[in-house]
Amino acid sequence: MNITVEKKTSPISSSLDELRKRVLKDGGFAVRDGGVYSPDATAWAILALDANGIRPDLVENARERLADSQKSDGSVCVSADHPEAFWPTPLAVLAWHGPPDYREPQSRAVRFLVTTSGRQFVRTPDSPLAHDTSLRGWPWIAETHSMVEPTALTLLALRITGHEDHERAREAVHMLMDRQLPKGGWNYGNTAVYGQELHPQPENTGIALHALSGLVFRVDVQRSIDYLRSRILQIRTPLSLGWGLLGLGVWGKRPVEARSWVLESLERQKKYGPYETPFLSLLIVAFHARGGLFSL
Amino acid sequence: MAVSNRNQERTEILESWTRREFLLGTLGGGVLAVSGGSLIGGCAKWGLGAETFIGKAASYQADLTSIILSGIKELEVEPSEIKGKRILLKPNLIEPHAGCGHINTHPLVVRGAAEAFFRLGASKVLVAEGPGHSRDSLLVLEESGLGDVLVEDRIPFVDLNYDTGYTVPNLGRYTRLATLTFPASIREVDWVVSLAKMKTHHWAGVTLSMKNLFGVMPGSYYGWPKNVLHQEGIEKCILDINTTLRPHFAIVDGIVGMEGDGPIMGNPRNAGVLLMGRNLLAVDATGARIMGIDPRKVPYLAEASGNLGTIQEMFIRQRGETIASVRTDFELVEKISAQRGIRLQ
Repeated sequence: MNITVEKKTSPISSSLDELRKRVLKDGGFAVRDGGVYSPDATAWAILALDANGIRPDLVENARERLADSQKSDGSVCVSADHPEAFWPTPLAVLAWHGPPDYREPQSRAVRFLVTTSGRQFVRTPDSPLAHDTSLRGWPWIAETHSMVEPTALTLLALRITGHEDHERAREAVHMLMDRQLPKGGWNYGNTAVYGQELHPQPENTGIALHALSGLVFRVDVQRSIDYLRSRILQIRTPLSLGWGLLGLGVWGKRPVEARSWVLESLERQKKYGPYETPFLSLLIVAFHARGGLFSL
Repeated sequence: MAVSNRNQERTEILESWTRREFLLGTLGGGVLAVSGGSLIGGCAKWGLGAETFIGKAASYQADLTSIILSGIKELEVEPSEIKGKRILLKPNLIEPHAGCGHINTHPLVVRGAAEAFFRLGASKVLVAEGPGHSRDSLLVLEESGLGDVLVEDRIPFVDLNYDTGYTVPNLGRYTRLATLTFPASIREVDWVVSLAKMKTHHWAGVTLSMKNLFGVMPGSYYGWPKNVLHQEGIEKCILDINTTLRPHFAIVDGIVGMEGDGPIMGNPRNAGVLLMGRNLLAVDATGARIMGIDPRKVPYLAEASGNLGTIQEMFIRQRGETIASVRTDFELVEKISAQRGIRLQ
């Protein structure tokens, strides 16, 4: 009787294998297998691989590739012909964190960020908007209004590089707290329009909670934690689940089922097809980082 | 990263979708030649008049495919215009909310449209959208119910927020933007169909097939929620996008629309109609009239009249139901400036 022993691979290992398939000859990562270099995909792949402590050579090459794509002003943009789309810059700061070789590009990116802001303006008395439009944060795209997610990501980048006392970091905290919805949670960046409070969204809430941990009192974000703890029960999509778990983790509220939920999310690729590199990487990071990104 | 490099990424061809790949795949670059050259600016002909079709549908359980097929026939779309062609359906999906069918184009309307184009011989039908308020497009698909419909029907979905961009001159120049960056999926199909929702809107007055095209613009280049377009002015951007990208057809889901503080916070309103046409401006003018709104008082519709088509009722031949027979006055909110004084008398 022949007995065949099937070697089972864990979903996380399979996901890391999938990530490794997306590495390019130049060291960067593509959004999906067979793709071309993407700075945000590369930054997220670095975080995921580094979290697992495997293939430091891949991580090193990817960091180098990311540095090669940095512009002279310190920004890292979606593509060379769209310098205004500089939203991957804080991701690059996170990805370069650690080895001394990348302190220089990391510092240049931080300098770019602290000298750049969204477009702010003074709200008129008859404005339909409810938030303080004069507070500086960071936008997705140059010359546009500051939004929650790029501001939270940049605050994380400033914190990890020891700039949490910088005036821009303090203003970002103020800005994010101003954008918190009265009933709890965050969305892309509007709190109310024409007197109607808008809906929170789990991804934005997760990343804002993560960025603010340790910088604000729990009581001031408790309603957002409560919202996210309830909302995350129904979520298995990688972006919202990943940031949701990270955001709850830093406040000590990571659900005990977190890892099984990540595995459920990975399983859904059988239904939806392979996740893009940033989302797959985020899930891997969320699987490991019980206390948020800083716990890695 | 150069756009030309990014285009190389699009070598995975969707000619043979597997069930596993169907939803999060990308379009193959250059799979199908675009008939008549580039879509951009390629369908500007509207002549002196336009036609719109209104079909009654009491609920989403109605035979929506048949209604859409009737409309396409009434509008004299020739079978040769569809047969063998690749069709991109662009629904209105904004943010995730389970059980809020009045926010997004209903999944059964998407299914009905896809089925109709397949029956007419389309070689491919895909659904593409770049949700404005959420980067988590998969969550939007799941909570709108569209994800399951697409899985079941094996219809591919392209997240336009992360699609490869290609840049063309802005033919409208209503804004300061010299160029517009569209997703590559747009130029890899033969027909773009705006599959919109009938709603009031707190910035634009109404959102129908023209405003729906905001979702085409990739978030990677325009931000969330399309910050560059908000910065430049919503109404001017509607005109720029529609002038530069001339879609081929519009289907508006007015079975259950939204009134009041749209496009998110308003209330459901049953109008019980599907509205269709080749000329998006005429479709939107008719849609506005069905909602009890005077299109001449909606600034972007009035501005477009004469350039992108017509809003004058006398120049729009009405097929199917009459406007009067389906008119359903949507609630307007007096304190919302874009909705003030636009009621059709």
